[in-house]
Amino acid sequence: MPQKVAIIGTGQTKHAAKRTDVNIRELVNEAVTRALIDAEVQLDEIDAIMIGNMEPFEGFMFPEHWAVEGWGGYLKPSVKFNTGGTVGTTTIAASYYYIAAGIYDTVLAIGFEKQSDGHTQTAITTVGDPVWERTMMAGAVGNFALMASTFIAEGGVTDEHAAKVAVKARHNGARNVNAHLQMPDLKVEDVMKSELLSWPVRKLDMCPQSDGAVAVVLTADHLAKKRCARPAWIRAVTTAHEQQYMGDSPKRLAVMRSQTAASRRLYKMVGITNPRKELDVAEIYEVASWAELAMYQNLGFCEPGEAGKLIDEGVTLMGGELPVNPSGGVLCTNPIGATAMIRVAEAALQVMGKAGEHQVPNVKTALATGYGGNAWTDAMILSASF
Amino acid sequence: MAKTDEVIRVPFLMKMEYRYALGAYASRFFQELKDHGRLFGIRCPECERVYIPPRPVCGICFVETGEWVPVSDEGVLVGATVVRLPFIDPMTGERRPVPYGMGIIRLDGASTAMYHFVDETDDAKLKVGRRVKARIRANRKGNMRDIECFELVD
Amino acid sequence: MSANSNSVDPIVEQKIQIPYSYVAGPAVSRFLTGLKDCVFYASECDACGRKTVPPLSFCGRCWKPIREFVTVGPRGVVESFASMPGGETPGVVYALVRLRGADTCLPHLLDLVPGQKAQIGAEVEPVWNEEREGSVLDIRSFRLRQAG
Repeated sequence: MPQKVAIIGTGQTKHAAKRTDVNIRELVNEAVTRALIDAEVQLDEIDAIMIGNMEPFEGFMFPEHWAVEGWGGYLKPSVKFNTGGTVGTTTIAASYYYIAAGIYDTVLAIGFEKQSDGHTQTAITTVGDPVWERTMMAGAVGNFALMASTFIAEGGVTDEHAAKVAVKARHNGARNVNAHLQMPDLKVEDVMKSELLSWPVRKLDMCPQSDGAVAVVLTADHLAKKRCARPAWIRAVTTAHEQQYMGDSPKRLAVMRSQTAASRRLYKMVGITNPRKELDVAEIYEVASWAELAMYQNLGFCEPGEAGKLIDEGVTLMGGELPVNPSGGVLCTNPIGATAMIRVAEAALQVMGKAGEHQVPNVKTALATGYGGNAWTDAMILSASF
Repeated sequence: MAKTDEVIRVPFLMKMEYRYALGAYASRFFQELKDHGRLFGIRCPECERVYIPPRPVCGICFVETGEWVPVSDEGVLVGATVVRLPFIDPMTGERRPVPYGMGIIRLDGASTAMYHFVDETDDAKLKVGRRVKARIRANRKGNMRDIECFELVD
Repeated sequence: MSANSNSVDPIVEQKIQIPYSYVAGPAVSRFLTGLKDCVFYASECDACGRKTVPPLSFCGRCWKPIREFVTVGPRGVVESFASMPGGETPGVVYALVRLRGADTCLPHLLDLVPGQKAQIGAEVEPVWNEEREGSVLDIRSFRLRQAG
């Protein structure tokens, strides 16, 4: 029998555009220190450290070096992951598998990125296939613009729907002390008038580039019950990959095959048949406003073509039937190697009842997703009981 | 922590040289493009998808592809945008000139689509569903730039 | 499909160039600033006493912030080296130098004059640039101290 796995503590930095006051090691140390304090765990109780980061952003190929002096990794087992945008959820998934398999009892998972030390769109462009794609590719913005153009052609979503998603995120983020963008007064027309980066994506439709780190303490059930009054149990984890080239998947955003497959498999694992009703909150990896709309239908929150209606009706707002990204999401905070793990940490905070100003009442079941690489999806369900 | 007044940034320009092997399938595609200005895809015998870029295995059926099939130099935009954001091109280390049009193009006869430049920077004209035609260079070297770009056709 | 004798180049060459700008952080900034004055700063953990160059703002072993800085060097000893005979500047050796008083080593270059040999345990001293801007390259290299 696999061990049951729970999150018993999380820590984040105050995410920002530029942390010029600290180097990468010191930045991550802040998140690790906060996670250990939050979990009330001593360093010698950590069996292993899992590190998530996307190296081209810092141009440093062995970021796990820093784990030794900065993140408690001295002489401990440690593994580094890089799966692109999904890396944060992949790192949590790996930590989960290690504990479930009984190899370790308590694992510290770390995700970080210091985007300001490098050039985000430049590094992302190297993700493109060198023979077929790299010459034309224009970072994440260009990719999402292309995907959004396809989505819009399907019908049912407008600039205004996208702008409403962007506003929701920024208003939510204004209640999250750790969120990078703090824009409590943002209006729909501000988004629709913001700089056009690559049609249909405007500046305020897109996530920022952030410096930030997150750390999560996961432990096996026999310890979790002793350590934490209300842990966030990881009920199920799955991941799905896509074909290699950008043009392989038709309707890449509107019908995201990996996300549809991963979420349906995940719901089946835990017996969810109506995600909109049965989930209490979702923390999803929405790199652009348009992506969140598409994800509503890919994740089964609504029927295809009804994503615009969902945001119009306020279903995904704070206080709605299924609040999506109460933290402000990726649209407020995007240190890429940390971003997917922040989704998990925020979902855990909701389940543990520790989300403070952006707490959704009575969360029992939460969804967290990661998105990245070439349209890959990670997804997991956290819950208050197991 | 003892205070230092200065925040020091250490600049570093990373330069990495790579030599990517085309492999047999891309080599054959570019050979045909170079020699005859023609475009080919490769068909999965099971699902009958015609793949561009060509590849040895259909990832969905997990069977060997095999039959090379000619595809048109015309197709349709399934994704389209005018790139305006300023960013440093990793291929040069310099700013990439913007704006430029690009699309995800599905050639007639192909099941999958590919990225390429589209010679149009008017947002109102560069739209999903528009027909495009490859502008193939007269002087070809056997690489992706033998297709100079695509242009909108009526 | 016909093959032509004029085959395509089977290799696509690319030179990827990405600029970075690393924030040094307070401890390393202190070290780099010190180099302008030809001074080496090490961090000293007040729990384990370890003196580290380049300095740390946090001791990962004691799990404590570090508040103390001490000066070390400028002389040191070669703990390890690798010569680069085929390199662009023959006679230059990559070395780990443990500055006097420090517990860790600083990686740098060792500049040998003809007839000199790098040796583990050899005493070295820094050769400073005239113009210094707060960079490890303010130290042009280390050179062997003559015996006696």
